[in-house]
Amino acid sequence: MTEISKKGVLLDTKNDIQTSILQFFQNAIEKKIFDAVMLPMKVPSGDSFAWIMIKDLEILKSAQPLAPIMPVNAAKALKRYTRKGKGKYKIAVLMKPCEIRATVELTKLNQVHLEDVTLFSYDCVGALPMQDYIDDPKAGDEKYSKLLTDKNWNYKDVKPVCKICDKFSLSASDLHFALNDQELILLSNREKGEKLLTDLNLKTETTLTKWQKYIEEKKTIKLKNREETFEIIKGMVEGFENLTETFANCIGCHNCSSSCPICYCRQCYFDTSVAKPNSDIVMMRAEDRGAVSLPLDRIMFHTGRMAHMSLSCVSCGLCSDACPVNIPVAKIFSYVASQTQKTFEYSAGASVGDALPMKEYRLDELGELGELVKSAEVQEGSHE
Amino acid sequence: MSKILKTNNPIEQTLKDILKYLLDSKHVSAVFSLRKVNKKGSVDYGLISDVAKLNEIAPLHPIMPANAGQLLGRFTPMNKPVAAVVRPCEFRAFVELAKREQGQMDNFLFITYSCGGVFQLKDQAEDKIKNKLNGYWDSIKKGEIHESIRNSCKTCEHIVPLNSDIFISLVGEENGKIYLNTEKAEKMLKGFEIETKEAKFDEIILKNLLTQRSKYKEEIYSKIDTKDSGLDGLIDIFGKCIGCRGCNTVCPICYCTLCDFDSFNYDYNTPIMEKELAEKGALRLPPDTLFFHLGRLSHMSFSCVGCGMCSDVCPASIPVADVFKKTGEETAGMFDFVAGRRVDEEIPVMIYKEEEFPELGE
Repeated sequence: MTEISKKGVLLDTKNDIQTSILQFFQNAIEKKIFDAVMLPMKVPSGDSFAWIMIKDLEILKSAQPLAPIMPVNAAKALKRYTRKGKGKYKIAVLMKPCEIRATVELTKLNQVHLEDVTLFSYDCVGALPMQDYIDDPKAGDEKYSKLLTDKNWNYKDVKPVCKICDKFSLSASDLHFALNDQELILLSNREKGEKLLTDLNLKTETTLTKWQKYIEEKKTIKLKNREETFEIIKGMVEGFENLTETFANCIGCHNCSSSCPICYCRQCYFDTSVAKPNSDIVMMRAEDRGAVSLPLDRIMFHTGRMAHMSLSCVSCGLCSDACPVNIPVAKIFSYVASQTQKTFEYSAGASVGDALPMKEYRLDELGELGELVKSAEVQEGSHE
Repeated sequence: MSKILKTNNPIEQTLKDILKYLLDSKHVSAVFSLRKVNKKGSVDYGLISDVAKLNEIAPLHPIMPANAGQLLGRFTPMNKPVAAVVRPCEFRAFVELAKREQGQMDNFLFITYSCGGVFQLKDQAEDKIKNKLNGYWDSIKKGEIHESIRNSCKTCEHIVPLNSDIFISLVGEENGKIYLNTEKAEKMLKGFEIETKEAKFDEIILKNLLTQRSKYKEEIYSKIDTKDSGLDGLIDIFGKCIGCRGCNTVCPICYCTLCDFDSFNYDYNTPIMEKELAEKGALRLPPDTLFFHLGRLSHMSFSCVGCGMCSDVCPASIPVADVFKKTGEETAGMFDFVAGRRVDEEIPVMIYKEEEFPELGE
């Protein structure tokens, strides 16, 4: 991410941003830089989008590079294509920054392989809640095009988790489309990107100062929203009673985990037979407390999932989109993730080179815990 | 011949009294029922062994947070007696699970009722049902469809599981009537001090509601008919699926711990993906969206009880239950089979008949 060049390529936006980006990829495929490109495309019923890996230039024309909603995290789509390793095609993928971050995490977890892939990101204005879009796609399209073009358009329409996202611009992609007012500027973000610009014979002549200033302003606003929101969420999840109340409507459908790009386990631990005790144990638990709530252990599922994936949570918000009972899962997980990631000085998806905290052993880690253990040992010893 | 309990108390109160008696007298070790868990109106299923905690139950509350058949199936064989208050479609789901060796009916005292339907989970979460409850109970008394219940409830025609131990007639009744259908029920309630007399439930009381529902069903089914549109029609319906598998997770019939469509069988090697991409020019990712739904239809539609959980949890508003219920009725109909009707009625795909479908043989 640090290899960003000081200048970018100003792309032609005679038509509109969407068309310009499509033309860019069409050109790159024609010049045999890529064999295929993965982009969103409207589904035939017209009320949602799907990820399509496209090789045929005719089909490419129907793609919509910047989709107003995120029904599936692109990292998850890419995982299904690259999980089994290297192939013969060179692939370009355009994603939102949070999807890039999920891709980075999945790469570390060995679920995505990037050998054949060039990652493109863009300045994300946020996504609309999927349900709103499905209810009224026409209104959704209008709202989103306003978000893309009107600098002063307010952000009230986007997903709650997008309102508090401060990582909506440059990411760990190879190349990045900067949306600067009505301009579209392509930046190389690392070596791979630099080489591609050379191959395509594109000149980096446009300065980025104005754009950088704009992004910084937006970031400040979002960070403020983020702090305020986290203060509210904190009250909702700290302490067992608050947590129980917050998740009271949970029906245990596990849509949050199955739509989560990070929860890659083929079978969640909480769906295995280990997590499904037999009738004697259930009865014992009921008799112990007078009553037991079914399905069992719904809070344990959420806290367990937090423990398993919050270090890699990229705050894409798919969990909230998929929740049938409107629990603000995304904001909750985003808050917890901010805390756990801070503890390990880790930022999910920032770079493929950063080791996952749980996979890395550091001698000097969490010093205060070590001290606690030591003093406990000393105390124990003195009692003997 | 079944017996009827003579009571003038409100029906829910009588039901609570029965459950209290059963637990108090140790005829059962626990009661399985819906409960209200907070002021927001959140509802869950509880297994209750403490009589004092029976005050929290709301056995007839029109919300289905999970299909009870699925929950109960997981906790069998049950080694202690349990009284379970469940909806007809939940009872039928349990019957289907029992046939598939995923549940055992022993040790349960099943209490069901003619069901007026349930509200959608989303409406409950958005606190939209509180002011609709009076209207809901009125519509049941009148034998009418309430406008806000699940589609699958509006089209449901199997609401009288007379093979449950206790059956409460609610639809069309001013106060409701409690029928004891089995010896087990009679025996357990012997000490319960309410008079009984011989009586048989007459389905005529449902006529009004069932006529409305079958009319509504035609309307709903015509909307999702893909006879003429074929594959394109199916893609129109399922194209926006995000692959969250919510429909199969909450489905009481889909009991597999790991769905086949999530198994290694469908992890394609890169060359296979590339071949597909080259042939078609484009490839939807993740793949197999429609395949999953068609596969699930073929795996479970025979036993589909039309509870509507799948539609309620679908984040993309796909009318999953309408499609599955319609298909289920058509496939089961070919064999004169009704999912969950009787426990001794074998699932058609599990029986071999030499003479079946001769026209296919031709």
